[in-house]
Parts: sequence; C-alpha cells; structure tokens
Amino acid sequence: MAIGLGALPTDVAAQTYPSTGPISGYMDFHFNKPESADGSLDFHRFVLILTHSFSPRIRFVGELELEHAFVEGLEESGEVELEQAYVDFLLTRSFNIRAGMLLVPMGIINERHEPPVFHGVERPFVDTVIIPSTWFDTGAGVHGEVGRGLRYRAYAMAPLNALEFSADEGIREGRQKGSKSNVRSVAFAARTEYVGVPNLTLGASVYHGRSGFNVPRLHVPVRVVDVDARYKLRRFETRGQVAHVSIGDAAALNDAVQRITGISPNIARGLRGFYGEASYRVWAAGPSKDLVSFFRYENFDTQFRMPPGFVPLKEFDRDAFVFGVTYFPDPDVAVKADFVLQRNQSGFVKAPNSFNVGLGWWF
Amino acid sequence: MLLLGIVLVATAGAGAYRAQAPERRVIRVTAERFAFTPSRIVVEAGEAIELRLTSDDTAHGFRIQGTDISIVIPKRGLPETTVTFTAPAPGRYTFECTRMCGAGHNFMRGELVVRPRRDGARDR
Repeated sequence: MAIGLGALPTDVAAQTYPSTGPISGYMDFHFNKPESADGSLDFHRFVLILTHSFSPRIRFVGELELEHAFVEGLEESGEVELEQAYVDFLLTRSFNIRAGMLLVPMGIINERHEPPVFHGVERPFVDTVIIPSTWFDTGAGVHGEVGRGLRYRAYAMAPLNALEFSADEGIREGRQKGSKSNVRSVAFAARTEYVGVPNLTLGASVYHGRSGFNVPRLHVPVRVVDVDARYKLRRFETRGQVAHVSIGDAAALNDAVQRITGISPNIARGLRGFYGEASYRVWAAGPSKDLVSFFRYENFDTQFRMPPGFVPLKEFDRDAFVFGVTYFPDPDVAVKADFVLQRNQSGFVKAPNSFNVGLGWWF
Repeated sequence: MLLLGIVLVATAGAGAYRAQAPERRVIRVTAERFAFTPSRIVVEAGEAIELRLTSDDTAHGFRIQGTDISIVIPKRGLPETTVTFTAPAPGRYTFECTRMCGAGHNFMRGELVVRPRRDGARDR
C-alpha cells in the first residue's frame, strides 16, 4: 500500500480530541506439567488496555490484569492488578512527564511483556525472582529521547516493603503495587536505552529505595541494577541480561522478621541472575508460516551473598535450561511449547523439570 | 484542516505515482515494540521523500503530527507500506505510533527534522 502527498500540510492534525481508543490487551493460556506432579491448565493472564487522548499532548493509558482467572482474596487463587494507569504529558521529544501507576523501567521483560514478544511459555526466571516482573507502583517521572536513539526514563516511585522479602523469591513479594503504598521514603528508578543502530537495543537500569518503613530503626536500602541487550541478524536473534540486587541491613532485617514471625526468612544481602537466549526463525514465509526455535540458559541465585552469620540455602542457587519453539499463526498469536530443565546446588532438594505449552495473543 | 494533494492508491497505482516523481529520497523505517528505527529522520525542505515502512511484529500506526499523514504499518511478513511527500518548511515534526501496541506504546515516537535547503532555493 502506498500513500502519496504532494507536500506536507502545516495545519493541525486531522484527528479530533478528546478521543478514546479501542480496547487492546493480551491473554496467556498455559498448560504446565512439572515433573512428578499433575499437569494444570491455567488461564494465566487476561489483560485489558484502555487509552484516551485528552489532547495530542495529554494521554491516558490503563492496564487492568486478571491473573489465574479467578479471585478469592489471595494471590494463589488469582489476582486483579492495576498494572498501569498513568497520564503522559508529551511535551517534546526529549522531555515528557508521566504520573500514575507506572511500570518500573527495569530489564527486558518488565516493560515489554506481551506474549508474542518473548519465547518460552513462562517469562524468564531472572525476570521473575531477581527482577520481580511485572514490577509496578505509583509514582511520577520524566522520559524522552535525545540524539539518535538514546532514550531515558527516570521515575520517583513508592518503595518496596522489606518485611515481605524472602529467601526463594527475593524482593518479589515486597512490591506494594500501588495499594495505599507507604511513601515514608521515595524510591528512584531509571533506565537508559540505546536504539540508534538497527536491530540492536542496549539497556541499563538502576533502582534505589529504602524499604524498611515497616521495620523500626531500619532503612533497608535496596538497589537493583541491570544491563541487557537484544540483537537481530536476519533469522537469528539473541538477547541477554544481567541483574543484581543488593539489600542493606539484611542481617538486622532477618532478626526483625524473626522477632515478628518466629521464623528467620534467611534474606540475602545480594541476589544475582543472568541469562542468554538465542533463537532462530526456522520458517519465515510470512504470517502463518512463521516458526522460531530457541534456547535459553539462566542462572539465578536469591542467596548469592548472605549477611554475616547466615548460611545460604543452596536450593535457591539455580540454573535453568529452557528450549522449545514458538509458532506464530499470526504475528500477534503465539503458540509455544518448551522444556525447562532446572538444576540447583542443593544435595537434598531437587529443582523440578517441566513441560509447558502456551497460547498467547495480543489484540 | 488543509489537505494538500492527498492520493491514496493501491500498490499498482503507487508505482505509477512514483514514476512521476524522480530523485525521490528513499528512507526505510522499521517499527517494532516500542521504537521506530531510525527514530530521527533529517531531510531538507522541499526534498522529495519516500518512506518505506515495515513492522517486525504487530501492526503499528504511523502519524506525523501536524500533517494528515496517518497510516497503519502492516504486521511482520506483510508487504511494506509507502508514504511519499515533499518535505515542508524547516522545523521539527513528531511522528508516533497511533495504534496501541503494548506497555511502551507512548514511547514509540520519533522526529522528522526538516532543515533549510543547502542550495539556497526557496522552500516550497
């Protein structure tokens, strides 16, 4: 299709404002079969996205997610989350303001998690237990792009809640999720991305915030850093990510939690994860003839560095070998199948392997 | 709204239209969640431009603010779409995705920079 114009008009755009966009969203439907356990069918995510433009420069985006299809009060039985709800004030290419419920700009997946854009039925482990995707909270900040493809985002946000940290999932349960988030101290998150070279994306992110607002006399500063890259060359695509979490006052935090619950959570002072993924488009004949095979190696350890006097739980020093295929009957529909082989450093607790099939779509 | 010579044609028609516009500068633009590459396009006022747009994933919108250029870039694997125009007066024109494409949709913006002609000719 082609559109030809004799010259560009200099008048205002044709679109009228305000305007509400159509509903968009994505869905994720999974079959998971862990080794030595029954398989399960899970409608993992049902996400609706709403948009509204008050004017060309003031826009709203909202993302409402239902997880695991059914809500009964606890996350295990499902969850309704307001993952995004913000207003963008689009001022210039290099400087814009955003406020509301924001995604933390961290890593590859957290801001880019629609099912057709990543391989594997489930998101990478590193993007789950090291970077707690989907990581979102209330806040405000700025974003923009300068030069030839250097982008930035910098937000002030509600911090994590250290009282919910754990040995196996690190900081994940510390997300306040914008539900009356305590902001006795404010966290800062920033990311820069370089997209100026075709087919290459380089990213680096940092998060810093005090998380001890529920723990008397403790600050519990948490810092998360990440570097990541994605590159495509014809049918070949690769991506990699390294993430590290440091938790200050970890020893005192363990003591405080033990006083409250009676159990030491064995929270580490350092968590680390990295992965590398390679994929190859084995069938690239356009829509409906589009098949990708992939392999991903992940290493993630939520007990990487322990505070003095604490012994790491080695079952949480884990490797994962994930390999499978993604078939695209349409670029917005992904049929996935993979095997996940997990290993850990424990001589007693075995990490379960699994076979997974998924159907995800974007509309 | 001032519309200047908009012609919306099928591919066959586009070929005929292109044949009447010699020395058109071709610029390939790729769209992928959540960026256009290149995201900054520099042209000269009065320059004949042909943008060839493709997507590496879903369908994206492409609109140049302040103009009536607003099209859909087809999904990956489908034929490219082409926009031809004559670069307007010097200035900066924001282009953006107009079709919701995911969490980072509002980041998907770029800039058409129109510079004065170097040969000193008057801008059209």
